[in-house]
Amino acid sequence: MENYENLYPVDDELQKFIDYRKRTGSIWRGVFLMSLFVAILVLIVLMLNIINDAFGLVAVENEIDPHSLVIDYQENTMVNMPNTLVSADHGDLANGIIDNDSAIGFIGHAHYQANADELRLIAVDGQFPTAETVADGSYPFVRPLYIYTALDTLQSEPAVAEYFRFYLENANLVVGEMGYFPADETLVADQISLINKLAGSPQTADSVTGDLALSGSSSLYPLSRQMLVDFRQAGFNGDIGIEQIGSTAGIEAFCAGDIQVLNASRPMTAAEASACQRNRINPVEIAVGLDALAVVSNPSLDFLESVSWNELSLIFTAMNFWDEIDPSYPALPIVRSVPSAGSGSLNFLSARIFSDIALENLPTAAYADIIRDKLGRGRGRALERDQRFLADGFIFDSESAFTTACASDEPPTGCSLGARDRDNLFDVIEQEIIVPQVQETWPLYDSLFKQQEIVNRASAKYPDAIVEFKSWLNRDFLFNPQSSEAELAGVRTAIWGTVMVVATTFLFSFPVGVGAAIYMEEYADQTLWYNKIIQTNISNLAGVPSIIYGMLGLTVFVRLLLPLTSGQFFGRVAEGTDPSGRTVISAGLTLGLLILPIIIINAQEALRAVPNSMRRAGMGLGATKWQTTWSHVLPQALPGILTGTILAMSRAVGETAPLIVVGASTVIRTDPTFFSRFTVLPIQIFQWTSRPQAEFQNLAAAAIIVLLIILLTLNASAVILRNRYSTSN
Amino acid sequence: MSSQNGSTSYAVQAKDVNVYYGDFRAVKNINLDIEKNKITAFIGPSGCGKSTLLRAFNRMNDLIPISHMNGEIIYRGKNLYDDDVDPVEVRRRIGMVFQKPNPFPKSIYENIAWGARINGYKGDMDQLVEESLRSAAIWDEVKDKLDQSGLSLSGGQQQRLCIARTIAVKPEIILMDEPCSALDPIATLKIEELMRQLQEQYTIIIVTHNMQQAARSSDFTAFLNMDTEDRSGYMVEFSETSEMFTNPQNQQTEEYITGRFG
Repeated sequence: MENYENLYPVDDELQKFIDYRKRTGSIWRGVFLMSLFVAILVLIVLMLNIINDAFGLVAVENEIDPHSLVIDYQENTMVNMPNTLVSADHGDLANGIIDNDSAIGFIGHAHYQANADELRLIAVDGQFPTAETVADGSYPFVRPLYIYTALDTLQSEPAVAEYFRFYLENANLVVGEMGYFPADETLVADQISLINKLAGSPQTADSVTGDLALSGSSSLYPLSRQMLVDFRQAGFNGDIGIEQIGSTAGIEAFCAGDIQVLNASRPMTAAEASACQRNRINPVEIAVGLDALAVVSNPSLDFLESVSWNELSLIFTAMNFWDEIDPSYPALPIVRSVPSAGSGSLNFLSARIFSDIALENLPTAAYADIIRDKLGRGRGRALERDQRFLADGFIFDSESAFTTACASDEPPTGCSLGARDRDNLFDVIEQEIIVPQVQETWPLYDSLFKQQEIVNRASAKYPDAIVEFKSWLNRDFLFNPQSSEAELAGVRTAIWGTVMVVATTFLFSFPVGVGAAIYMEEYADQTLWYNKIIQTNISNLAGVPSIIYGMLGLTVFVRLLLPLTSGQFFGRVAEGTDPSGRTVISAGLTLGLLILPIIIINAQEALRAVPNSMRRAGMGLGATKWQTTWSHVLPQALPGILTGTILAMSRAVGETAPLIVVGASTVIRTDPTFFSRFTVLPIQIFQWTSRPQAEFQNLAAAAIIVLLIILLTLNASAVILRNRYSTSN
Repeated sequence: MSSQNGSTSYAVQAKDVNVYYGDFRAVKNINLDIEKNKITAFIGPSGCGKSTLLRAFNRMNDLIPISHMNGEIIYRGKNLYDDDVDPVEVRRRIGMVFQKPNPFPKSIYENIAWGARINGYKGDMDQLVEESLRSAAIWDEVKDKLDQSGLSLSGGQQQRLCIARTIAVKPEIILMDEPCSALDPIATLKIEELMRQLQEQYTIIIVTHNMQQAARSSDFTAFLNMDTEDRSGYMVEFSETSEMFTNPQNQQTEEYITGRFG
């Protein structure tokens, strides 16, 4: 024995040996830790990448601003209310209020000032229009007044530049007595120096030559006219002329190059400015003063001191008697004076009063009105024949035309379906009228850290677009069907497709797989050569590439079993149409074949894990093999079988290749049935990622999140199931 | 070697029994008459085929695919291995208790009731459960927790539950394959007491490694040994227990029971 002992290391050598072993151990530990880090890192990068794409800023350009639909609707309501005087002439409006004891209305402040003794000025949200409240912006109904000219005109015609300078220097002196409010002094000074910079140093009125022709807003007309008269008195000796055609028409003519100097009671919109740019006209915008709209009533309405925003909205669009606004008011009818729709004042007012009302908050009846007003007749008729907009009448069709259509051989679905509901009407408005289009998208990282840069670039590039933060994964995304418009596309049909395909897969592969496993484990003599071959084959089938199952599914389910998988055999294919085997059933059965070996192998493992003593106990009591298997073996194997099955199902949920071969469709807009064409989430993702537009990459990322959530839910349920059964045992 | 009693008192008889696992003969040429309402013990060294022989009595060997046998097991004048005999019925008549307690992972009540139900028992189940548990001397311990899992009991209790389960289907013979090998001495004693009580109604065949147990609790003892040449088991000696342990006829038997080999 002594000899052997000498062969082991001692002392220093022993210490070295121990150190060496420890070192080797720590190196391996480090290697394993690194592997873990790499795995976690990859997962995190993957998740971040998906999240980066699924959320972020988007520039959406609507064909029609949804808020303008609200404003239009509310304006319409306003002018169509009973007891309402509508006029473009503010003098008429004032007279209407003066003549009626319970009247209220909007008129220009200048007109109030002219009739101040016969009218009662009412505060809006506690604010009266005064020089202070108008200047600091606390009075809400104030709009700036502008004069415009083209940069070329300003630089080449000294009369225009001099008139602009004269206007800025003198307007504030006269606005007070004319009922306007002065422009900010600093702004005036800044604008004078801007003109000096653009058109050279000032000259005198009598030294400049050329003519002046003004046109545009009627609100600004009196002031601009006064300025022309004063300019002439200061010595200008060219021809002068001024017309009033309204701001909008004026801007249009100006941008067409027809107007030398434009009067406008509102700033140019971005779209109008770009229309000017296209005609090589560079507008120069000069703010010359402020115009206020006053809320006034007949002096007899002395109970009314101030109105809130909500009261304004109620008074002008909803209620008919004063006591409906407040029970303490007398039960007098509300009589209204409102500027007419063409005047521009109404648009300005309603934009302020109804700024908080979103399209989603309008009543259902409003949706029908908006559709009637904005949707083209042809498209409207087509949609109405699909499904009616109103339960009790028609928007686009006459009653007789509809009746004729319903009496035909193939009546449109609109004849039998009930009227569209609120959500449906809203969808029609969104898809047919607003038509949002994503112009550009930015990933989450850029959206968070370069927000200002993005907003600046987007407003330059897409002046009409709204830049907003968008979660591509939202309620609409889950509930909308597929669409070619990224903004409207969703995964509802894909989720339904996935659910139905997987349900088919489960119904097929679970009983067949578990049955086969029971036979192999409990009945078959595994020592026999053919059973060995079967077992080996099953194991090998689990490793066959999934696309090969796709080929199998195409041949067997789509082609050979066409009458069954298309539903023809069950009378589910309409006469005269070609049956198609590319259905949910075919896809489900194909995936069922794909996961069958996995289910069999997992179920066999689970059955094998049941101790043999259970089988002997059962048999020893005089039970048959089936009784023993059913009562004792299967219940104990069930958690394992279910876990394996659920994991196999999650494989099926994520499978793409075989379904492409079987013939998944990519654009499915109606919810699938078992015998209809189908799409599933992975196919949808695949299709979106292969499209060139960036916004579809975002949709794909959102769909990936949905798919991951479904998969995680499935796997979590497998874990819960396993834990629950193992604790109950 | 065989008993002197008349053939009518035999519960079961083995005639020229050979059991094979594939080509290997596990036990050979066994001739054995088991007397009614007696306890017969099989003793012998490991691997001598005691359990194999025991399983031959209720065709449990059928469950092992590679095993087959020849010879006859005569029960009620009929060979159990005749073609017209259903092994399922055999196992009901000749019950079995295993080495390791193996109650079903179900309630105590269900452990007893299941065997009765699958065998078509039509009487009052509660009564049967109680009677079986009483017969297995475990009623007092479990009567308040019949709905608890059989696995919640201790090892000795589980084994008595397994015995109760076996006698619930009213067998005539109970085969016990080393029923106490996984139990502590106190639980072992309880099982032995139980065997003595059961003996009044049942014929019991027990395989044991424990010579004291065989000596204490059996009426007859069969000593099996392994043939050194072909490694198959054969029966060396079979006699009344008292005689075998006091006056063994065979040299090997004497060496085994005095602990000189095995």
